[in-house]
Amino acid sequence: MKFRHIHPFFILVAITLSKVAGAQVPTDSTATDSLLLKQVEQQMANNQPPTQQQPRSTLSFNPDIGVIGDFQAAYTSRGKRNFDAYLNETELSLQATVDPYARADFFLSFARDPETGKYGVEVEEGYLTTLSLPAKLQLKVGKFREAMGRLNTVHPHALPFIDMPNAYTNYFGEGLNDEGASLSWLVPTKKFYQEIVFQVTSGMEQSPSFYRGDNNKLIYLGHLRNVFTLTDNATLELGLTGVTGPNDSLRVTNIGAVDLTYKWKPVQMNTYRSLTWQSEIYFGNRNIAADDAISSLGLYSFLQYQLAKRWFLTGRYDYAQKPYDNKIVEQAYSITTGWYATEFSKIELEGKTSDDTLTKRYYQAWLRWIFVIGAHGAHQY
Amino acid sequence: MAFLLAPLIGLCFIANAGKIKVVTTTTDMKSIAEIIGGDRVSVTSIATGYQNPHFVDPKPSYIISLSNADLFVTVGLDLEIGWSPQLLSSSRNVKIQKGAEGYVDASTGIALLQVPSAANRAEGDIHIYGNPHYWLDPMNGKVIARNIANGLERVDPSNKSTYESNLQTFFKRIDEKMKDWSAKMSVFKGSKIIAYHNEWVYFELRFGLNIVDFMEPKPGIPPSPSQLVKVIKEIQANSIKVIISSPYFTTSSSEVVAKQTGVKVLTLATSVKAFDPINNYFDLFDFNIKQLTAALQ
Repeated sequence: MKFRHIHPFFILVAITLSKVAGAQVPTDSTATDSLLLKQVEQQMANNQPPTQQQPRSTLSFNPDIGVIGDFQAAYTSRGKRNFDAYLNETELSLQATVDPYARADFFLSFARDPETGKYGVEVEEGYLTTLSLPAKLQLKVGKFREAMGRLNTVHPHALPFIDMPNAYTNYFGEGLNDEGASLSWLVPTKKFYQEIVFQVTSGMEQSPSFYRGDNNKLIYLGHLRNVFTLTDNATLELGLTGVTGPNDSLRVTNIGAVDLTYKWKPVQMNTYRSLTWQSEIYFGNRNIAADDAISSLGLYSFLQYQLAKRWFLTGRYDYAQKPYDNKIVEQAYSITTGWYATEFSKIELEGKTSDDTLTKRYYQAWLRWIFVIGAHGAHQY
Repeated sequence: MAFLLAPLIGLCFIANAGKIKVVTTTTDMKSIAEIIGGDRVSVTSIATGYQNPHFVDPKPSYIISLSNADLFVTVGLDLEIGWSPQLLSSSRNVKIQKGAEGYVDASTGIALLQVPSAANRAEGDIHIYGNPHYWLDPMNGKVIARNIANGLERVDPSNKSTYESNLQTFFKRIDEKMKDWSAKMSVFKGSKIIAYHNEWVYFELRFGLNIVDFMEPKPGIPPSPSQLVKVIKEIQANSIKVIISSPYFTTSSSEVVAKQTGVKVLTLATSVKAFDPINNYFDLFDFNIKQLTAALQ
């Protein structure tokens, strides 16, 4: 036999090379399993632990961690001290899958109190989302921004303007963001996207519209989301929301909302041009006595146009009746220019003019620099 | 008209009934999945062939496809990090979540290039696991095909022999075509070119090209005037004939360089269906090699 004269070193090299070559294309999974089985059987027969140390993975189970900085400078034409510059918020995000059945998302906010200028920490959101419920259901539990139209679910730093619309602030303050449970159902239609969301929250996180008194009255919210694909480049979203809960008069406030969003983005050149037209209208009904209720209406509408890869321009109109007195009407116009350096930083400048029935016209301006370090967050549609 | 359409729609429905529903992130994965799956699968791709796969808007309509899918195929290596994880978790489909039997990361087993030694965004839009444009080396198409076949065999073991047979046919076809592509490109081995974005490294290495610089000063950063001057000087110093770009990048800055130097600006296909004649994974290389060899003459 000729092979008897081959040096063992060359046989070893040949075996090693064949293993390396084999590693180029992943093998059939069944074949891998049988190979593994043979190795296990061999080791069991030898009844000896492997002598060679196994290579250690550099991966870890740490969640994706990101930090978002929000630095702002603000000017208002009212008051003596009318200019400020501050780190408005630092947001820490921690996100990962828990197990095959759920994922968890935490957003911790280190925010500045505008009154005191001091920073405090709070859980902006912290929730668990199921991945495996049957019948296209999804359950979310924890503290989360509620499905109140379009604006409420988006973190402020991701919005194309710096201040929030007047109507939104009047009804929800910094946002309808509460503790509880959310069940959503993806309606099995193939023609368009339809989702029904039902949420129950404790009302512990108070907003101008809702107040959890010394009782067990909860906040209930229902949202219907419909998204129609008009063309490859354009979609239309129509949402209907209803929310009801206790108020500070120990009675009930009901708010209905309709949101309409048109988005255009050419698929091929989607990093250079886009347009979004988004509007929401809120109808409030605040019961303050057995036979007395205040109805109010508020809306905003904005148009955002992407001028170039890095440049965005947004114009917005606000109309708002005060929920506690519908005779006080606010109107405002604002324009925001945004320069998006990369996916991880943007600078925006906003100017706003406001009127209401009680005070004379006043002006505001903001400059905001948003910057992100750490994990790449998901884009929102 | 309706009475004619109704039976046709009915036939389509019957034809798709019982098939394995595959959703891929890109058209290249779709093409290979169709070749391996044959008539056992119906495949849809989320991104189009002329779209930048880094930046796909996570439209809710994609959630509908994913919610009904049996198999999900991703390019991986964080190429789709901005959109596919969100779509997957919204799909409510446990079968295709990461780690489940219906989840295929096509990059498994790829010999990765440009794996950074440190993750630093000062370097631009880099990928910490390595350059993710690996499908642009046809030999990596074999690895992708093996991964897809494994996925199909996990979710549909009764048709394993069909998938294995289709896989072997695909391997043979790649080997045959490689001879042809290599022969055509061998004349241009070592040719210096400029690329718009750093997405051709696997293609470059396979066919012996030499990409000396990029229009983008760093990945994801638009061309700056100083970068254009640098590129112009490099083109003049090295007699470079071609700038290669992709369908989803504007060619305006490349045209500026072309005016100064006479270099040709070539928009190559980065994916199947980027242009009309590219209907499958083999067409992708036929098209690019034809364009490139003509420009480098």
